[in-house]
Amino acid sequence: MSRGSNAGFDRHITIFSPEGRLYQVEYAFKAISQSGLTTVGVRGSDTVVVVTQKKVPDKLLDSTTVTNVFKLTPRIGCVMTGHNADSRSQVHRARVEAGEWKYKFGYDISADMLCRRLADISQVYTQNAEMRPLGCCMILAAIDPLQGPVLYKCDPAGYYCGFRATAVGAKQTEANSYLEKKLKKKPELTHDRMAISCLSSVLSLDFKATELEIGVVTKDKPKFRTLTEAEIEAHLIAIAERE
Amino acid sequence: LSEKNEPEWLSEEVKTGTTILAIEFDGGVVLGSDSRVSAGASVVNRVMNKLSQLHDKIYCALSGSAADAQTIAEVVNYQLDVHSMEIGEDPQVRSAATLVRNISYKYKEELSAHLIVAGWDRRKGGQVYATLNGLLTRQPFAVGGSGSSYVYGFVDAEYRKGMSKEECQKFVVSTLSLAMNRDGSSGGVAYLVTIDEHCTEEKVILGNDLPTFYDQ
Repeated sequence: MSRGSNAGFDRHITIFSPEGRLYQVEYAFKAISQSGLTTVGVRGSDTVVVVTQKKVPDKLLDSTTVTNVFKLTPRIGCVMTGHNADSRSQVHRARVEAGEWKYKFGYDISADMLCRRLADISQVYTQNAEMRPLGCCMILAAIDPLQGPVLYKCDPAGYYCGFRATAVGAKQTEANSYLEKKLKKKPELTHDRMAISCLSSVLSLDFKATELEIGVVTKDKPKFRTLTEAEIEAHLIAIAERE
Repeated sequence: LSEKNEPEWLSEEVKTGTTILAIEFDGGVVLGSDSRVSAGASVVNRVMNKLSQLHDKIYCALSGSAADAQTIAEVVNYQLDVHSMEIGEDPQVRSAATLVRNISYKYKEELSAHLIVAGWDRRKGGQVYATLNGLLTRQPFAVGGSGSSYVYGFVDAEYRKGMSKEECQKFVVSTLSLAMNRDGSSGGVAYLVTIDEHCTEEKVILGNDLPTFYDQ
């Protein structure tokens, strides 16, 4: 097999390059950073928190209709990073998959099974020539009835796994190193604060309550919910006072 | 030479003979059902709860073929689960009733079940919908099942507009009791579900606690 026998198609569709890379999948990862937003998810002993930036650049946009935090089932929530339309498509698919599971098997799907299912679907897109991978990454948060708080992430490559804390998006490398440092020092900090502090230090931004979206599940309140502006404000004040 | 090794009830279709009804009051609904499931002359389940939950504040009452009715309820429950996630709030009672009606109408030749859908939502409060044979109509109250024929007179005479929650519950229990006394395919215990803005309450009324009438 001579080199270059792919005639350059390896960059255009999802087939292997001579070096064994899937360029389309790598480009999909770049697409996630395109949106310019960063998202952080943190798991604690009894809580899971996901935080994302809310950037509404256009003054004409109604910011209440813009969101990246979605409920997939009453107990499983997610935050999407990347291409907006792809995100919505994946969220819808996740909701349908969760509904189908409950209908077929008679019990609620767990976060790890849902994540695995979405990752398996994403993997198909990395093999089919006629479809492109989705340019978005999903972080799921839930309180699993057996395992307790769980945080899962699945990406365009079809890879998924559980995390203690993770970051996705434009500044994910810096955010991930920040999280590693913090977790080494103090494994059980209050997580909403940790997640927000992570974002603000990594992006060197002092956030206003309207610029953040936060989703939470706790052991006492296992239903996934998004915090209101007032609640976010309270957390920001608490962080500011601590400094 | 005919072989009659198998008992008859094994080959009879399992029907929920049934009496079901639902009634609306200001701020909610009350649903009621009996608990008898028969296969021919045999009672195969004497304590079946025929009030099936479609969503937090939407229930349906099953009648007709047990399998058909249960399946419709399960499919609609699945559809409402996904729908409520997509719209981000509790579904309307009308949506649930429409989903039931769409299945009942599309498969009207194959299925033999009648579901009464009732519940509470923010926009229109308590609502009762009948979906017999694939129609959809909202009514102040609805009765169904084989036992309903025996109590049309009673419900028509006794129903008054503007009854309170407790009066509605009494109305439902009396109707069920009368129907269970006369209809061979209805009996057992009475199940009651009361849905309003604040809570969804499921209750069972055992045989000897049911109201008695002239012959008892």
